[in-house]
Amino acid sequence: MLNILIIGNGQCGNRILDAINREAFGKKSRLAKFYSQQKYKSNVQTIAINTAVNDLKEMKFTKAKDRIHIPHLHGVGANRNVGKHVFEDNKTHILRQIEDRGNFDVCFVITSASGGTGSSFTPLLVKELKEKHDYPVYAIVVLPFREEGTLYLQNAAFCLRDVRESGVDGIILADNQFLKQMGGNVESAYNGINDMIAKRLLFLLDALDSEMMMVTDLGDFKTVMGGGAGLATIGFYEADTEMPVRTAIQNALSPSGLLFSSNVYDEASRAMIIIKGDKERLSIDEISTEVEKLSSAVGHVFKGIIVRNGELPQVLAVLTLESASELESLYSIAVDAIKHEKEKKERVSNVKEVDRAFSQIDGMDPSY
Amino acid sequence: MFHKRKILYTIFLIFIFSFLFTGSATAVTLFNDTIEQGDGYQINNFVIDVTEVFASQEAATLRIYEGESDDDDYVYDPFLSVGDSYEFDIEDEEAEITLIDVYSGVVPRAKLLITVTDDDFINSNTEGVVDGGHSEAEYSLTPVLKISKSVDNDNINVGDVVRVTVTVENTGDGEAQDVVFSDPQQPKFILVDDILGTPGRMDVAVDDSPKKIYVYDLKATEAGTFSLNPTTASFTNSVGETFPEVSSNSPTVIVEATEDLVNATLDINTELDAYSVERNSEIQGLLRIKNTGTTSAEAVTLKLIIPDGLEYTGGDPSIEEISGVPTIYLDSFGIQQEKEIDFKLEAKEIGTYTISTESSYMYDDGVNPELQEVSSTSVTNKIYVTKGEYDYLFEQPVYVYAVPLVIIGGIVGWIYYRHKQYKF
Repeated sequence: MLNILIIGNGQCGNRILDAINREAFGKKSRLAKFYSQQKYKSNVQTIAINTAVNDLKEMKFTKAKDRIHIPHLHGVGANRNVGKHVFEDNKTHILRQIEDRGNFDVCFVITSASGGTGSSFTPLLVKELKEKHDYPVYAIVVLPFREEGTLYLQNAAFCLRDVRESGVDGIILADNQFLKQMGGNVESAYNGINDMIAKRLLFLLDALDSEMMMVTDLGDFKTVMGGGAGLATIGFYEADTEMPVRTAIQNALSPSGLLFSSNVYDEASRAMIIIKGDKERLSIDEISTEVEKLSSAVGHVFKGIIVRNGELPQVLAVLTLESASELESLYSIAVDAIKHEKEKKERVSNVKEVDRAFSQIDGMDPSY
Repeated sequence: MFHKRKILYTIFLIFIFSFLFTGSATAVTLFNDTIEQGDGYQINNFVIDVTEVFASQEAATLRIYEGESDDDDYVYDPFLSVGDSYEFDIEDEEAEITLIDVYSGVVPRAKLLITVTDDDFINSNTEGVVDGGHSEAEYSLTPVLKISKSVDNDNINVGDVVRVTVTVENTGDGEAQDVVFSDPQQPKFILVDDILGTPGRMDVAVDDSPKKIYVYDLKATEAGTFSLNPTTASFTNSVGETFPEVSSNSPTVIVEATEDLVNATLDINTELDAYSVERNSEIQGLLRIKNTGTTSAEAVTLKLIIPDGLEYTGGDPSIEEISGVPTIYLDSFGIQQEKEIDFKLEAKEIGTYTISTESSYMYDDGVNPELQEVSSTSVTNKIYVTKGEYDYLFEQPVYVYAVPLVIIGGIVGWIYYRHKQYKF
């Protein structure tokens, strides 16, 4: 049994973590926590960290003891510099909370790249974990909508760089911009994205600790995540009607199945495909055909098959990327945002000249 | 031969003596002593006066009187010498006077032997020496008392007063002495005025006009025809003889009902909203009181007698629980006044019950000085208490309740535990 630690940093990380815990109950009901048990195959410990207490209070499926509030008013206000200071001030407390939960085989840190607490805490936290522990730490980073604002884009650019330089063993990207194609209002879109990430991560955890017809394990996952540019995405498809497993694999690798926009056949470096379903529906020929097709493009593909009687085919693909055109696009937008913010700051500086004008009457009183 | 004659002679003598002694035993000696001249000896109404004693001539003159008589109105006047006898009849018996001797002196005396053939007729009160002779003798006379009871009105209404007068008259030949009257209390009437009071022991002389012994007023309390109880009298005559008790007549008084007699009549009715209820159900009760009488009722007390299977749970503030009995007390309840008092019961046990309402009250009927007291009990229709909707739940063994409760408790505890786990 694997010992797995999942940390959710900031509002986005907290919500995805809560979605994972909810999915683990296997029920959609809000009352599932009262009558059901989480169905983790592994020893999974979850920790939510936030400076905004309200975000922690909104969590419904994460135990109270697993929610760590870092007192700093009500958040850091999307200011990563403030966030870094707060982390440094509370580092000891955070790390003690993590260490109290024991040793782990793997750790996932979930965060938004654009926010305040998550984007500033995650790189520093990863760095501390890597310095103190020898288990692999993977970051699941959610990229912002491009139109969310210059501060968020600026944060995303610096956060992603900081995370990559923190010593993390891999970054799994999830792009809100790409995922908003799901439609619906903002809340349902966010919830949908959270659910998508949760479902994929749970599938991955289940696959890493399951007895398989064809085995993929944590070692394979490490190998996959160690390839490419250290960036990865996850594709997933769950058939809701009878369909060939080949179609399910294709759907998982298609843009609609990925968390981050990518042409896996061109940009992927390594891959791991895990297929689950009734053995009657899992045609080895079809699976081999699709895997061979992918491996011929990306090189090596780890393949795992989990047999579950009566279930329709479900496919999870972990793909590391050599390049990411979408990421380059994000950074070019981010650069514009940084410039825009700089210009704005300069304008604010000019406004201070007005303050100097006012200062001429300091210490004087009106005479009538 | 000599012996035989001697025996026969002896038997003959015995026979002779027996005959002689038997004949002399029939005369009873009443007196054998001296009587002074002027005195007499009384045998019932007869007095034998020693009129004059002639000592020198050893003779005396006697006069025999019957009843109260003048000196010259004697019946017999025998002149007897010493040793002479005189016989005369007294009340069918034969008396004999024998002059035994005479004595001279300041007051001459004569010794007389007086016998009668039978003394059964002699009244001991009127027998013996009488100083002064016949004029001083006490004779046994017969008083005859006639008691009359009358009313001034023998047809009255309830509440009216009738005057009763009782008189007595002696129509006999002697005074009635130590007369004691008795006038028993009269049912259905009350004594409102005793004018003469209770007469004491008295004498009633002959030929006196009728004498009032009782005069009193009675008030009729009830309609009907009533014979007044007779007045009785016991008495003796002058010599102390007791005569049979005499009674007066019994006048009849017809008493008719009158509208002036008032009463209070409380109609008490207890109703319930349901007579067939399930156990543990509530029953609403309503007690209605109405005074349909012609005067107000006082000290009205109503008690609701609730059987064990029902429980009084509350009601009108006028209801007080006294010793566990819901009780209503009203100082006064006016004519035609109505009152409704509600109360609540709870059916505790399955069964058939009735509720009794015990009432008591008093009123002034305008006739009797005391308040009239009325008590009554009314009973409701039967109340059927059947099984409650959830009674079957309590008919099961304990584990039937315990197991679900434990499970529910466990679930609640689990939910609370989970809630605490996830409450931030």
